[in-house]
Amino acid sequence: MRNTDKRPLNLGDLGIRLIILVLAALLFLALQVSGNLSPLTSLATQITTPAQLSATGVTESVTTLWTSLLSLRTIQQDAASLAVRNLQLQAEINTLKEVEKENESLRGMLDFAQTRPRLALRGAQMVARSIGVESTNFFDSIQIDLGKEQGIQVGMPVVTAQGLVGRISDVNDATSTVLLLNDASSSASALLGTSRLNGVVRGSASGELVMDFIPQGPTFTTGEVVLTSGLGARFPKGIVIGTIKSIETQANAVFQKAVVDPSVDFGSLELVLVITNFEANENLPDFQTSSTITDTIQAEDAPLPTPPATEPENDIESGADTGAAATPAPAGTTP
Amino acid sequence: MNRGVLFYLMVPLLLLLSLLQSTAAGRLQLGGVKPDLVLLTVIIGTMLYGGRSGVLWGFVGGIGVDLFSGGPIGASSLALMAAALLASLGHRPLSRFNVMVPLAAATLGTLTYAAVYLAILTLLKTMGWFGRDLPFLEAMRYIVLPATLYNTVLMLLALPLLNRMPESQDL
Repeated sequence: MRNTDKRPLNLGDLGIRLIILVLAALLFLALQVSGNLSPLTSLATQITTPAQLSATGVTESVTTLWTSLLSLRTIQQDAASLAVRNLQLQAEINTLKEVEKENESLRGMLDFAQTRPRLALRGAQMVARSIGVESTNFFDSIQIDLGKEQGIQVGMPVVTAQGLVGRISDVNDATSTVLLLNDASSSASALLGTSRLNGVVRGSASGELVMDFIPQGPTFTTGEVVLTSGLGARFPKGIVIGTIKSIETQANAVFQKAVVDPSVDFGSLELVLVITNFEANENLPDFQTSSTITDTIQAEDAPLPTPPATEPENDIESGADTGAAATPAPAGTTP
Repeated sequence: MNRGVLFYLMVPLLLLLSLLQSTAAGRLQLGGVKPDLVLLTVIIGTMLYGGRSGVLWGFVGGIGVDLFSGGPIGASSLALMAAALLASLGHRPLSRFNVMVPLAAATLGTLTYAAVYLAILTLLKTMGWFGRDLPFLEAMRYIVLPATLYNTVLMLLALPLLNRMPESQDL
């Protein structure tokens, strides 16, 4: 609605109003310069200060909100970028944890090799775990990434730093099959560490290790360390098999029997060592119980031995094989 | 009589804008210059409702601005009333629906406002009644001209809204 031409401009009203307002403004100015307006301005300031403070606070809040809204896109991009970075770092942490575990395992194996300088050991990584079912029994074995090309032969003992794993049952060009000690068809001559009683440790269908053919008469206790005895020329003497878990004694039986708690966790094997220079009837100078092995590892924790230059994961050889890696130690001493 | 809601809201709006001028306008600073929210509102109100209301709003808005800014009370009122008088030309003799009228009102209104205000400051300083003084020419060059440009741009942005409002008769 435009009515600008309907009414004449009333300059009189405007002039009067203007004059009054100008005079009022000039009065204010005069009062202020003379100082008479101070009480009024002080009162007005006291009244308006809270409003000013509130307005300032609201303004800051609105400004912050506005800035946040403007930077929302950037924040979203940053968040996405950080999420990706987080995933990368998580993957890196997992890798490093894996490396740490592997390093720990390798260190243990190195210590194992150093405490047995006369054994030639080849490190192997388990490439696959195979559990096949045969017609008569369960066949528990693993496959490793060493074969004929690396000089692996059937019958070679396989160990870890924790103890005896089994022996090579089949060899291909680049891989081998290890028959685990807990397989029902597996057995090893054993010796009790403290009571010096001999027997045979064998696997069972249930997966337990059983030490059988322990002579009646002498007593032994649970917790006693079970080692390979070296008899039968299948395994070197003095490799830890496990500890006595329970004893089954029958009054009229010729032999005692015991369940052995294996020192090796057959379910989580990753890196194993193959003893490549073991010969039948060879007697190691002495055996070390698990406690002495632990002592040895702890004693050698500070200066770590230099790992072999070639094939660090798969080739950990002791001085017996290389002739240089480890100093042959006298019986029962720490190298 | 077609006054509209804005007419009745002008006084509280001007007081609120006086408050915002001393608090929020700093956030809208561009090139060291703040927009004159009260001045622009007085100009718009004057163009909508005429000079008689405009000078009253200039007086009220000026008191508010001086109260919150700490300047000599009454100086802004005189300056805003001068700007309102100029803007009132856009209400009757010239149609504000012409794009150039609001823009010219903003430009000339800002210049008038600044000139009157600086003149009062200079006069008060000369008389020794008020301590603050701004070199007139420097202030015109470094403050008033950028502020004029800023206010004119804001008026340009406000044009679509202004053109939607019905014109009222001079009350």
